[in-house]
Order: sequence, then structure tokens, then C-alpha cells
Amino acid sequence: MKIAVTVCFVPDTASVIDIVDGALDHSRLNLVMNPYDEYALEEAVRIRERHGKGSVTVFSAAPASSTELLRKVLARGADGAVLVPVEDAIDPCQTAMLLSQAVSGFYGDVLPDLVFSGKKSTDFQSEQVPVMLAELLGIASVSGVTALKETAEGFDAEREIENGIECSSVKLPALFSVEKGLNTPRNASIRAVMEARKKPIEIFPAGLAGKPHVRLTGLEPVARKKQCRFVRDEKELLGVLSDELHLL
Amino acid sequence: MSGILVFLEQRDGMVRQASIDLWNRLLEQAAADAERHPLFGIIAGPASTVGIETVLSGSGTIYHVSSDLLGLYQPEQYTQTVAELFERSGCSSLVFADTALSRDLAPRLSVRLGDSLLSGCSWPSAIGAGTCSRSVYSGSVVASFAAETGRRIYTISSQGSSAVPRKEGAIVIIPVDDLSGDTTRASAVVQMIAMTAARPDVSEAGIVVAGGRGMGSAEAFAMLDELAGLLGGAVGASRAVVDQGWRPHSEQIGQTGKTVAPRLYLACGISGSVQHLAGTGGAGTLAAINSDRHAPIYDVADFGIVGDVHTVIPKLIKEVREFLKKK
Repeated sequence: MKIAVTVCFVPDTASVIDIVDGALDHSRLNLVMNPYDEYALEEAVRIRERHGKGSVTVFSAAPASSTELLRKVLARGADGAVLVPVEDAIDPCQTAMLLSQAVSGFYGDVLPDLVFSGKKSTDFQSEQVPVMLAELLGIASVSGVTALKETAEGFDAEREIENGIECSSVKLPALFSVEKGLNTPRNASIRAVMEARKKPIEIFPAGLAGKPHVRLTGLEPVARKKQCRFVRDEKELLGVLSDELHLL
Repeated sequence: MSGILVFLEQRDGMVRQASIDLWNRLLEQAAADAERHPLFGIIAGPASTVGIETVLSGSGTIYHVSSDLLGLYQPEQYTQTVAELFERSGCSSLVFADTALSRDLAPRLSVRLGDSLLSGCSWPSAIGAGTCSRSVYSGSVVASFAAETGRRIYTISSQGSSAVPRKEGAIVIIPVDDLSGDTTRASAVVQMIAMTAARPDVSEAGIVVAGGRGMGSAEAFAMLDELAGLLGGAVGASRAVVDQGWRPHSEQIGQTGKTVAPRLYLACGISGSVQHLAGTGGAGTLAAINSDRHAPIYDVADFGIVGDVHTVIPKLIKEVREFLKKK
């Protein structure tokens, strides 16, 4: 079973998000693997382990300097990585196009059986790239998967919708974008970290034709601080919410 | 003319409230210029359209593809159907309420049609201008986006705010035959399991009662269930609570959970980490109950009671019961 996993890198929770002159200040950011992608990679590695053969290859459209970050991803069980160097800001559709070129270029005529992606990135949260990638590759996909079961024909997948669960049956090849909680990602052992140093990272120079569909035109910091009004007791709180604000 | 095509999402044959609210808000916005921005709608799947003019404001033309094949959300069939009708309508904007369905469907359409996609847009949104803003980086930054193509697709975040006044008008329904030529499904939704139908989903609720680590146990959430039930709201949870297994991930609010926009958010025993607040930026009013006077939640709260949730919430439930009796 050949499995591709897409990965991106986002600021960790301790990073300081600061906007200077309308642009993000990168000096106090510490980048890590997107949390949702951890579930995607873990699922891919588990399937390979279950089958006892096959390969898991990670694809990332990220700055050329991201190889060290990719080593950490490889330590979580992937066999190799393909980096598509990107220096300029690109939109989700362009990201999907680059990943699609890299996946097609790497596997040649026969697409991988499975593609896993995190449901969204925690920085911009566009939640567009995985399904766009499936569309560009021309394969079936289910987004926000919370449960997966292998069947004779492919996979049965579940995803959360408002007040319910949608159950799909999917034939391969297919892409699954993964919701938190699908599995519990493993931590990389020291041995795995050592082994990751020897795993291949290919650079795939993909070109973008045309302009982006969507342009980022500005970033503004949000002042969320409010003056909290402390109330005496529950009665006063209810009075405020009902009589003053008519919220109940 | 640059018409606006609104996707009216149906489930179990009923058009969903999120879509109705979106139509009515768009109508309100476009009303001043209805000739330039007439409203069109799409209903995919069998649904009763009798009396739809009593919930949809103003005038508009609705394409209804009542094929049974579209009863459940089938990604490929929905993509083909909506793409075809977007072309046929001549509209320049295709607009969705931001839901689990549209977050899956809109990116497919964007690639299929080569139209730009502005997702998760905050309201009010400049549909005509092709711009959108929404919060990024855990809600600490607002990003503005501009579409570079002539036709655009939008998904618009729900608002917990009150309904807009309805305008009289004429809704015309145009029945359309099944348009999806694809019968070989590589992927098929085979079943939809509905849960807790009596309660709104936390992402769509007007009132959210959320609990954090300070609740202390899974059992303590029974209080929040009771309070949310009384208020017609939904229960939410912080990441710590979900990771402890006290509540399901479907209720998690924050960076790796849901984003909510209720008119009232009641944070109980939640300290207010940046990651949690990433999901609450859309809340109208935020009230907090926490035993720590200096908890960060009070930096973003409108109202606060300093106290132990285990004593404050039962008293609050009692007050709510009395209030509801009088109402």
C-alpha cells in the first residue's frame, strides 16, 4: 500500500503572534508540524504497519529551509519526504496545485492508494487544501474523518456533521482529511529520531502557472481585552443577561 | 446583473436554519440594490418547499433538484449539480452558510469551476466586492482577502445574533431534473446518523454553556447539561476536558475544535487559554465563572462571577428556573 501524507508547519502554542506594519513578525515564531497532520501521519503509519508492507511518503509545500522540520516528521514513522520549496505567500488552491504536481511526479502514472491530510492548518484554518488536492488528483475524498475502517472494497469512513455523523463507503484511491481524535499520535523515540537522519528528503521544484485566486490583502491585530464587570451573585448575573441584554 | 446564488442546505427534507438565516441576511443587505443583486437559491435533494416563503424573506428564484440521489450529501453529485446550476443561473456569487457540508463542497467547486473561494468569512461580508475578512492565528489577528476572479464562492460564518425582520416578496420555485451524470460512485455517503436532535449543535447554538478543567469531573457536566437544556443552548468543552475523556470531541471549542458564535457564551471553570479563545471570538457576550479572580478568561469576559462552579452553577440553575417560570 502506497500512502502519501501532506504536512504543513504552523506556529506552536508558545509563539508570539505579532503584526508589524501589516505583516506577521516571524522573529518570535517557533514552527511545528500542524497538529491535525499528526493524526494524518499516524493513521498512515498504522495502516502500513497493519499491512506489513508499503510506504508512507510525506509531501510538504514549505520554505526550502524546512528540511529540519521534515526530519522531525520522518521520526514519526514516515519513510521519506518530498519538499516543494515555496518562498512567496500562496493561496490554498496554489498549495493544492503544488502538492498535486509533487504527488503525481513522485508516484508517476499510478497514484498512491491513499492520501492523508490534516483537516485544516491551525494558523489560517482555511480548510480548503485537502479537498482541493483530491479534486486535482481526481480521486474520491472524505473530509474531517473521525473513524476509519478497512473493508474488502476500500474504507468505511465517518465524519462529524452538525448534530450527527455521516458514514461513507469509499473505494481506493482516496484522500481522507483527518479530524482530531481519529487516533493518538505516537511520540518519536530517540531511535526513530536517529533513523530519520538517514531517510531521504527529495526536493521537487514545482512551478506555478498563473496568479492566485485569492490574495491576502491585510493583517490586523485584534484587541480582545475587555473590561470585565464582576457581578455580586447569580441573581445579578441573570438580571443582567435577561433584563439588560435580553439574551435569554 | 450580478446575482447571488444561495445554497439552501437541506437535511431530512428540511432547509436548515443556517441557510435560511444566510438568505435573510443577504436579502437585507441586497435589498437596497435588489435589481443589481437579485437572489437565487438551490435546494439539492427532496425537500418540501410548501410554505418556504414564510421563512425566506423577500423575492427570489429557487432551483430545486428533488432527486432522491441527492437526499444525503453525495460529494460528487452535489458538485456536478451545483456547478451546473451556478453556470445556468448566470450569477456571479455562490454563497454557502459555513457548515460541515459546505466546507467539503465549496473547495471542490472552486477547483472544478476555477472560481476563487473565500471561506469562513465573517459577517458582514462584501459579497459584491469580492472581499472577505476572518480571524486567523487563534483569533489574535484578522486577515482580509480579495478574490482575483470574476466569479466567487463564499462560505459565511454563522451568527448567533437575532433574526432580521422578514420582508414580503415572491419566491419562485423552478423544479430541475437530476443533473448529475455520474452513477459510478467512488465514494458514497451511505448513512446519516442524527444525534441529540433535541439540542442544537454547539457550532450553531445561540447559547453555549462551556465547561473546562475546573469542572473537576465528567459527572459535574450534568449541571451544564441541565443549564444548557433550560436555556435552549448547547454544551461546549475545553480541550483539557475532551483530552480527559469527560466530553466528546464534537463539543470541543478552540483551536483544535469548533469555532462558535453564540449570542451568549458562558464559560464555567475555563481558565481561558489562547487556544480556547481561538474558538470563541464570535461570541456576542461572554460571561465567566471561575474561582481564580486573575484567570485570563476575565480579560476577555464581559461579565464575571468569582466562585466555585460547583456552588455557583446550581444557584444559577435555580435562578434560571425561577426566571423561566415568570416568563
